[in-house]
Amino acid sequence: MALSEERLRAILAWVVIVLVGGPVAGAVLLGVVDGDSPCILCWAERTSMVLIALVGLFVLRYGPRPRYVGIVVLLGAWGQFMALRHSALHLARDIGQGFSAPILGAHTYVWSWVIHGMVLLVIGALLLFLREVAATSEVRELRRVERVAMGLFMVVVGANALQAFASTGPPPFIGQGDPIRLSLDPRHWVWSLEELAPPTISWRGSWTVSAPDPAAVDPDPAHGPLASLPTLTVSSWERIGVPLEGMLSGLARDPASGRFLAVTDRFGVYLLDSTLSRVLHHVVLDPGFSIDLSHLAGAAFLGGDTLAVVSTNKSWVLLRPDPHAAARLEWRHFRATDGGVTELGLGRFATVRARQMYVLSLAFDPSAQELITVSVPNPRHRQLVVSRFARADRALASEFEPRLAAGLSPSGPGRAPADYVVTGAAVADGRLYAISAAYSTLLVVDLREGVLRAAYAVPGLRHPVGVAVRGSQLLVALADGRIAALERPAP
Amino acid sequence: MEFLNFLLILWAAWLVWRRPERERLAFRLLVVSCVLMVLLFLVGTHGSLLPGVNL
Repeated sequence: MALSEERLRAILAWVVIVLVGGPVAGAVLLGVVDGDSPCILCWAERTSMVLIALVGLFVLRYGPRPRYVGIVVLLGAWGQFMALRHSALHLARDIGQGFSAPILGAHTYVWSWVIHGMVLLVIGALLLFLREVAATSEVRELRRVERVAMGLFMVVVGANALQAFASTGPPPFIGQGDPIRLSLDPRHWVWSLEELAPPTISWRGSWTVSAPDPAAVDPDPAHGPLASLPTLTVSSWERIGVPLEGMLSGLARDPASGRFLAVTDRFGVYLLDSTLSRVLHHVVLDPGFSIDLSHLAGAAFLGGDTLAVVSTNKSWVLLRPDPHAAARLEWRHFRATDGGVTELGLGRFATVRARQMYVLSLAFDPSAQELITVSVPNPRHRQLVVSRFARADRALASEFEPRLAAGLSPSGPGRAPADYVVTGAAVADGRLYAISAAYSTLLVVDLREGVLRAAYAVPGLRHPVGVAVRGSQLLVALADGRIAALERPAP
Repeated sequence: MEFLNFLLILWAAWLVWRRPERERLAFRLLVVSCVLMVLLFLVGTHGSLLPGVNL
């Protein structure tokens, strides 16, 4: 089936009529009837639809010249990008939420996505079936339906111009990020330049967050954000007595059995005996299937034989030593395994206050049956957020930024606990013991009150990656496999 | 500026309809209008040019 130029023009005239008479005219109507007023991004998307229709008029008049096809494909692709960029602000909000009122169950930025996508589909279909057309500079006479398309275009775009004058104003005023209701009464018109005000230009804005690098922080406790901290000294040094593949990135201890759980930066998970000298079980996780695991950041025992591992991007994996593990089933979960471990599940922690921040630690609070992470600040988001997740469903249970207890004070203006980079954490007696690689400081957080009760400088720690509790001792694991034993501060 | 852009578009459409021999001017107006539309969108998103989601 081949499409003649005559037939193409007839179809195109109707495409212009539908595009202009539908979404573009409907948008003006919504403004007049409902007071709907576009934001600056909506204006660009609506203008793009008008420009696509204008290119249609060019084709009706001059034929399907390559430069018309080129510009309309660019407009369709750019329109898709605009709609994606715009929708990204709102798509992940909670149920029913969005910007301005929905139309037929979807918001305008979603419709923009659909319309620009359909434009690309229609262009592709028309070009697919279009018969070869000889290039000519001849001006085509307009037939009735084409004159209707031209006239409708002028009327609808004229109405858009009037709406734009009322809601955005004459140059140099521009559209607004947060527009107000459209009114035909000039006393209610607000013309603004506020979108031009902030000077920063960024590719990804608040999403510009690089992966944390605890090895690059300042370890000197004297430079820390809290003033006059007491010092905890290392009482003895131990070492993991078996070779690990990769650098240690997290350590936990099971208070019931004394076993240790170690994770490495090469996705290795090791269950070690209580003397740290024998590997009981070992697997290498598959970071690509199917949930994206970034570098492993922490480990915890969840009671019994359940092991938890978290990566810096807050993805988690639950494992269990299992003498009956089915090798055929577990092949999909592990890059390597000793054959005695089963994967129970994997997923992602979703945070609110700690969103857009990585984590470098995992702890488990047995009394609340909650897993705990502590956010790592970055240049875009400087907060120290303790996030608690219910063990039952791994959903967020609560979050808080610890308040400073009496006796703790910032070391200078602008300094705050958010300057710490917590790389290991463990819970005992209702307290969260968190070690910060930055400023080599041990933080003691009262989980019930949400208060930073105490902080201690721990000189001599280089790149700590985990904390475990052993009776009255805290064991601080370093990336090189050494373990510093400290006396646990009294509650 | 959105108002100005619609005036440019109306001008281009009027040329196509009533002065078809001025195709070059009409096409240039179309291109200018496209560029203005892109710039206005970038002004609205300059704090984060790409979508604010995981890439």
